[in-house]
Amino acid sequence: MQMRLRTFVLFFLPVLVFGGFLYYGIAWNISISLTNYSLLNPKPVFTGLQSFITLFNDFWFQAALKKTLMWVGVLASLGNVIGLLLATAIFQFKSPKVRHALTSFFIYPMSLSMVVVGIIWRWIFDPYKGIDIILNKLGLPTPAWLTGNNAFWSLALVSVWVYAGFTAMLYLSAFYNVGASLIESAMVDGADMFTIMTRIVIPNAKQGLIISVIFLALFAIQMFALPFSVLFMNPFTMTLVMYIYNKFVSEYFCLASATAIIVIVISAFIVIPYAMWGLKRWIIRR
Amino acid sequence: MRIYWSKVYAYAVIIVLGVIWAFPIYSLILGSIKSLAEVMNTPIFVPPDAPSLSTLASVANAMKTTLLNTAIVVIPVAVLSTFFGMLGAYAIVRRRSKLSDTLMMLVAIATYTPYQALLVPFVHILKFFNLYNTLPGLAFGFLIYYTPMAALLMVIFMSVIPSELIEAAVVDGANEFSIFKRVVLPVLGPGIVSTLIFILIVSWNNFFIPLILTRGYGKFVTLRIFSYVGQSGTFYNKMFAAALLGSLPPLIIFIVLGRYFIRGLLVLGTGAKG
Repeated sequence: MQMRLRTFVLFFLPVLVFGGFLYYGIAWNISISLTNYSLLNPKPVFTGLQSFITLFNDFWFQAALKKTLMWVGVLASLGNVIGLLLATAIFQFKSPKVRHALTSFFIYPMSLSMVVVGIIWRWIFDPYKGIDIILNKLGLPTPAWLTGNNAFWSLALVSVWVYAGFTAMLYLSAFYNVGASLIESAMVDGADMFTIMTRIVIPNAKQGLIISVIFLALFAIQMFALPFSVLFMNPFTMTLVMYIYNKFVSEYFCLASATAIIVIVISAFIVIPYAMWGLKRWIIRR
Repeated sequence: MRIYWSKVYAYAVIIVLGVIWAFPIYSLILGSIKSLAEVMNTPIFVPPDAPSLSTLASVANAMKTTLLNTAIVVIPVAVLSTFFGMLGAYAIVRRRSKLSDTLMMLVAIATYTPYQALLVPFVHILKFFNLYNTLPGLAFGFLIYYTPMAALLMVIFMSVIPSELIEAAVVDGANEFSIFKRVVLPVLGPGIVSTLIFILIVSWNNFFIPLILTRGYGKFVTLRIFSYVGQSGTFYNKMFAAALLGSLPPLIIFIVLGRYFIRGLLVLGTGAKG
């Protein structure tokens, strides 16, 4: 017997209200993006797609769009490589306690604020007080970490440092699902651990790959606090979200909203299929 | 002797990456116990000759109001969003229909849509309710985002409760509130703790929402930490002390109750079976 509709509404009401504001926000963005609302035009007038035309002709918008997409590419690819390295290494330990301790250790950057991460790495990249001193002694090259376009690559690597443990966790949970019996029977057949990993475990971790690509892409699209706390509004590391913030601070609201719509559309390509796919797995059918 | 290459591989990866993972937190702790003289002369990773807690103490004194403000916002946000999410999730699990499936989809999309894209309307909403630049307003902003997220987490945690358990109570003629209290709540403990801990940590660490919804740097911990970047120039000890102090609550929770945080992360990623 199911819950009555009235009770359903009662229980669901708070989620409906707060979630409603979120959707109201999306609708507000759409309507404002079609106007000229800004500091100079406090009374919005409908201007059609003019904001979007302005955006796509703006050099800094193009640069920010490119940076965000590049960040998605770097984080989703390198995050997966490092995450897979970690997961396969952690999987070699048989004790659940050791596995858990290692997984937690590699996830700890996610329990720090991105501002804190930014502050620490800003100093690690410092030419006089940071990692360069060690690299010099070892005779290794010391790139100008935070200068010009290098800054993007340095910070993208930092974001990999933050999220690789999370990816490792997703892979490990996929590995555990492979099943001990399958692995044991392969061992009885004389297969070594390398063969077992490459032939049995990793091919069965497709779900880990899909989910981690989705999440790393979402994390990259949202990138703001890390570049902002290290280099403020540096053109070399300006992402779409930073561009929105910039337009918001300068009260160019229609451009901020139009950029917000573009961010939402980009993420919708990832989020909507994932939510539809997830619905089947999240709710175990009764 | 046979060499176990898989073990060699495992240790090599763990040690090399382990050093890279440990280095930042190691430097953070060292930097915050250095005196001014040592900050001027030593790189961040060299331990101080004479460790001192004076920097931490003075920064703690400067930050205490902000830390309190943050706790005042974040704790109710975590409790309320978990509670609301739990009620919403119960409704969805107890009434399976096209409508509840659609609502569930909308909740999931809301959870994963970048909230940064919604900043302008959030400011607009808060100004409308006269809550801009206030702690309740900040909490309200957090709730808009974290309530749907909590609902999604709780749906996943609840979906593993055997339906026979609930059906039996329905047959006994219990009403929804007592089913919820007697049957669902007792088995939902770990799920509730996971959701609570998860939202506590991610909201404490959030930078963007307080940056947009308040003015100045005094109302939220991450803003306060950020303010040290501009003002302390080359004296990294103050910056590190602020960063360390501001990270202590989430770090301690992570160290003590990390498995709940990880469970929350895992469930957001892979669902109940993960």
